[in-house]
Amino acid sequence: MTTFKRPLRVLLAKLGMDTHTVGVTVIGHALREAGMEVIFTGLKQTPEMVCAAAVQEDVDVVGISTLSAGHTRSLPKLARLLREAGAGDKLLVAGGVIPEEDKPILEQAGVDRIFTMGSDTRDIVAYLESWWAQRLAEDAA
Amino acid sequence: MMQRAADVANRLLAGEVAAGARAIRWLDDRDPRGPEVLAAVYPQTGRAQVVGVTGPPGAGKSTLTDTLVTEWRKRGQRVAVIAVDPSSPFTGGAILGDRVRMSRHALDPGVFIRSLGTRGQAGGLSRSTHDACLVFDAMGYDIILVETVGVGQDEIDVVNLAHTTVIIAVPGLGDEIQAVKAGLMEAGDIFVVNKADRDGYDATHRQMELMLHLRAQTVTDQRWHVPLLRAVAAKGEGADAIVDAIAAHRAWLDGHGDFISRSRMRAREQVLSLVRDALADRAVSISGDAIMHRVETRQLDPYAAAEQIVATLSGKSAAA
Repeated sequence: MTTFKRPLRVLLAKLGMDTHTVGVTVIGHALREAGMEVIFTGLKQTPEMVCAAAVQEDVDVVGISTLSAGHTRSLPKLARLLREAGAGDKLLVAGGVIPEEDKPILEQAGVDRIFTMGSDTRDIVAYLESWWAQRLAEDAA
Repeated sequence: MMQRAADVANRLLAGEVAAGARAIRWLDDRDPRGPEVLAAVYPQTGRAQVVGVTGPPGAGKSTLTDTLVTEWRKRGQRVAVIAVDPSSPFTGGAILGDRVRMSRHALDPGVFIRSLGTRGQAGGLSRSTHDACLVFDAMGYDIILVETVGVGQDEIDVVNLAHTTVIIAVPGLGDEIQAVKAGLMEAGDIFVVNKADRDGYDATHRQMELMLHLRAQTVTDQRWHVPLLRAVAAKGEGADAIVDAIAAHRAWLDGHGDFISRSRMRAREQVLSLVRDALADRAVSISGDAIMHRVETRQLDPYAAAEQIVATLSGKSAAA
């Protein structure tokens, strides 16, 4: 018997009106292979819906795929809603089509990390794993 | 910012979603604060009707759940959904996708949806599912719907958990022989043939009807008339009749004192399963790897090993 390991829980959601799910599906499977619990919310989510799901599911990470612009409004709004819901300690990660010049705006608004097109899933897994190890160490301290 | 169990317990009793969500996380993660919260809220439980929804993969469990939630909301009932999906036995990871079909309830404060991975538990549920039901019960939800993983022939743990079990079948899965074998046919309180607009509906309906007749002959205590209903969940058809049947079953349970006896059975099942887990953990920690190694190297047979471990445990508890 090994001791029970707390799995990392990740909500994956798509903000915006597009229906391109390949990216978010590939990432979901990579995270599952890495032993994480991945919760999908479906298409065409609003920041309010994502926030409600993140709270109900008590996830550690909220991952947003955005491919149809609008992210400079929707992502800061999501970050604010999460803080207001007392869920500001969740890691907020975004990916998809995000122009370089938008990055500072999003980072300033509370997006913790941005993975743009062409990111290697192994880098995403490694980033989440190291964040989680650090969080678990903080909790144990 | 370590959260305290007493604080979370008080907040969830007041109905706060984030507190309920955290309590379930602790219970699912086997954090010691989980049992502390349960101890504090347990006296407030015992009111909600726990409804199990089960059936083979692809039967439309999530879609049907979505339409049932809509129907209950129309009737002013608050609903919690526990949606269980399988965890990988290799990595422990899981894709929990049942929310996708329930998106329209995302912003309804009368609906709380929680996804759980099985985390190594066989039988169609996670070991934390009982606990999550208690949390939702304490939060005051009227209905707690438990959607199991897609089940095969005997993964029917949900029967020990739910007051009312709804079994979903669909045309064209070659159910005829499966239905005969399956413990499912003996277990359900309500049967639904979903995707009833598909070819093969009549045959599946006939087959189910026959099985229910056979069951009525063999089950002696058959006072509840098990309904066989049709649904096309994707079009929202059939939800009203199913919700009616679930309410009728609750009334029947209340009238016959079976609500209390089923609740008692559920509590007993949960206690016994916790005892099993705790004893197994202690047995392993007391006996260590040595005895397992002797079994692996064929110096000791498994029965003798088990007996030795149990004897050690008894010795320990007698000394305590």
